[in-house]
Amino acid sequence: MLDILEHAIDKGRNLGATYIEIRGESGFVEYIQMEDSRVAALTQRLERGVAIRALADGAWGFVTTGNLELLDKGVSDAVAMAKAAARSRKEPIKLAEVRAYEDVIKNKPKRDPRHVPIEEKIEYMNQMTKTIRDYDPRVTAVTIKVRTSSGTKYLVTSEGAKIQSPTLLVWTLPWASGKDGIRLSAARYEDATTDEGWEFFERIASPEVIGTAVAKRLKQQLDGVAAKSGVFPCVCGPRVIGTLAHEALGHLAEADITMNSSFAGKLGQVVASEGVSMTDNGIDMGRVGVSKYDDEGVPASRVEIIKDSVLTELLTNREYAAKINHRTTGNARAESYLFPPIIRMRSTIFELGEHSREEVFEGIKFGYYCTDFRGGQAQTNASFQVGIQEAYEIVNGELGRPVTDLSISGIATDSLYKIEAVSKEPFPYDVGRCGKGQEAFVSSGGPDIRFGAGGITFGGKS
Amino acid sequence: MMVKEKELLGLCSYIISTGLKAGATAVEALAQSQNELETDIELSEISSVNQKIGTEIAIRLYIGKRMGSAFTNIPTKDSVRDAVGLAISAAKVTTEDADWISLPQPQAYTTIEGLWDDGIAKTNPSEVVDLTGKLISKAATSEPGLVLIRGGSGTSSHTSAYTNSNGVSCSERGTTSYLVEAAMAQTESGATPLVVEYDVRRDLSLDMEGMVKRVADWVRICKTKVNGRSGKHTVIFHPQAYAPLFGYTLIPSIRGDNVARGKSKIADKIGDTISSELLTLVDNGIIPGGAATSKADDEGVPRQKTSIIEKGILRSFLWDTYWANKMGVKSTGNARRNMRQGLVDISPTTLVIDSGAREIEEAITEIDHGYYILNVQGAHSSNPESGDFSIVGNPAFLIENGKIIGAVDGLMVSGNIYEVLNNIVEIAKKPIKLFSWIGPEFVAKNIDITAKE
Repeated sequence: MLDILEHAIDKGRNLGATYIEIRGESGFVEYIQMEDSRVAALTQRLERGVAIRALADGAWGFVTTGNLELLDKGVSDAVAMAKAAARSRKEPIKLAEVRAYEDVIKNKPKRDPRHVPIEEKIEYMNQMTKTIRDYDPRVTAVTIKVRTSSGTKYLVTSEGAKIQSPTLLVWTLPWASGKDGIRLSAARYEDATTDEGWEFFERIASPEVIGTAVAKRLKQQLDGVAAKSGVFPCVCGPRVIGTLAHEALGHLAEADITMNSSFAGKLGQVVASEGVSMTDNGIDMGRVGVSKYDDEGVPASRVEIIKDSVLTELLTNREYAAKINHRTTGNARAESYLFPPIIRMRSTIFELGEHSREEVFEGIKFGYYCTDFRGGQAQTNASFQVGIQEAYEIVNGELGRPVTDLSISGIATDSLYKIEAVSKEPFPYDVGRCGKGQEAFVSSGGPDIRFGAGGITFGGKS
Repeated sequence: MMVKEKELLGLCSYIISTGLKAGATAVEALAQSQNELETDIELSEISSVNQKIGTEIAIRLYIGKRMGSAFTNIPTKDSVRDAVGLAISAAKVTTEDADWISLPQPQAYTTIEGLWDDGIAKTNPSEVVDLTGKLISKAATSEPGLVLIRGGSGTSSHTSAYTNSNGVSCSERGTTSYLVEAAMAQTESGATPLVVEYDVRRDLSLDMEGMVKRVADWVRICKTKVNGRSGKHTVIFHPQAYAPLFGYTLIPSIRGDNVARGKSKIADKIGDTISSELLTLVDNGIIPGGAATSKADDEGVPRQKTSIIEKGILRSFLWDTYWANKMGVKSTGNARRNMRQGLVDISPTTLVIDSGAREIEEAITEIDHGYYILNVQGAHSSNPESGDFSIVGNPAFLIENGKIIGAVDGLMVSGNIYEVLNNIVEIAKKPIKLFSWIGPEFVAKNIDITAKE
């Protein structure tokens, strides 16, 4: 494939573009959905396609097609469309200078998902269904989704970049529903790897581990008490604080959003309590969302978004790095050949602090410990919302009763100043899918972090 | 560039015969070909022109009661033959589904006018760029300090064909055009929320003036920041706010699959009153000009109009063929197929809420203290089974003494969707058209509001 793409770039050189980039992709993709032990979908496919992006006269043209025979035409169309777009621009788009890399990256999954028999995959899902149903007699319905993919992606640019890298995904999401009297509820869980093969489901995300994780959350939904509404001190556990890092802060630090967000013009300024540091770590190899190069061929790097309470760096692609005179951070990612690369997070975390677990909870008369999320969303005015599907009351510094669905919100630029304690205990990461017009697999996490009253608002019944 | 309906039908028929020869006892194929052209705006300038050309072919087949499916994006006989092979291998090793009865049977289709527009089909990149350029200049002068963050315009034309081994065979073509504007302004304390408006049509009669004015009006109000007050209050929901909220709570509960699987809280409530009698909700798959309007659903079943809630009484759920067969009812033409994943599930088309008698402005004049929620954050984190939700209204506006006086940051709106339905006290007169909803604002009382201190 690399040769075909290179050839197309060569043919496009005299069309008047300042930059041409072609991303190719080929591979195996599989989706299985099981509903109450019934296979509702089982699709295997061989996917192949190309994405062509041309910068001409200071604007972009983008063409995507699954038909490789249209490659040369796609290049000339992309250049023509860029030129059409450029007529209206006052300020031409420029790209930050980067070194063009040539590289072939290999991965070594022990069990490539494409070679794992379907029967074994169905058995994995059957076992998980059984684990969930056996956990609590009130379980009424179980849906399990499994996605796997295994293939290769290619990047060739007119500047000489030529990178071949593997694509790999092993992902599961169970959804369990339950009924107690007239009360219906549900819980979800999600785990994935982009670094291992099917062995991830044997070694770490076994049907028992994942099934128990979701069933436990459903049980707590059925047994829990309703949350109060208002403003309370709270501690956010790793899965929630990670979501907060991503939703509340990470998005505001994406350079394409920052320019007009509440973080605009705040680089170099204190934006959080003392001792707070937050990072998008693009070099923590093996984490979901992390790869050696981004989809513009820029090497990934560790971005210290907040360092010791100061807004220090933003996430960029080549276009925004040039626009705001910032270094390239390797955050340009595309879901697939159907989309152009845009600025995305990879593995976003709050760094460890200096407090013991006891110190984090100490002195909270009444508050909440939020330990798992259902979803979250950010807005440009720094308003964030995170739906919570697992939480406990904190009474006099001790964990109390489980709480049913609630959600927390705040204005990130205010909430960061209300952080009172950051745990020094290591934490597990969680995996999520971020939507910004296209899907990106990301990881996030952080230690237990305590917010004083006023930092986080709890939505509930008054 | 697009594959013609006749060619797609030919490929689908070839899939049926290849599947049957390979041992399948029932086969269906859905093929879609599209040509999309769009322009992106970033920071008030056209950033890119994008084109997506492609064909997607989904195959589902059964060997007895064992199902397998496959997908290919290459519209050739060789490629679809390979895909049939993958589906056959999958069906051979999967588990038997005792509940599966049959693929859809042939039915008559009604003729729907206005699905295709030659003007859209012939649009070239320069025309789309010009349209977006016009949007940029209109937005620039619409409100001081307004920044056009994202948006643009686009056109799309598509052809599709469906056939199955029961003799169902249909094809159609359609076009859409759209305009989007997402804008905000800087304020003394930071930034306003992003305000988004759009217009979607099946022809090129896009209302740019109206859209730009709506965005400017909203951004102007957002610039004034005021504080909210916690408690139970009267709240007006704009369709942009209730569409996602209903979409993650009420709508999953009217899906036949969830009803059949014990995942719907209103599964046994047909004929019962589940909301204020002011509410009438219809799923209209054949409404003229609707973005989701088409001849057939993704299983070749004719689209139709289905009454869901009539004056507060629950009338029907939405069905595809599998779940309708299992539950002994008729498909309502609401099958949606995720082409690449192969999953066929149940999805509404255009949901329509009947209009009330008064303009919303009149209702506002009677509110001493209340809120107008234009959009929400976090609807997707609602609990679809219980109907509980806790979201942030953003943009959200404070109403005092009969007037909207400014925007509130961090206003949380919580409750249970069935309580909200019962608390609706008024539905406004003027319908607002979104991508998959048409309805006016509604007013609900006793809604739990938590304001940031």
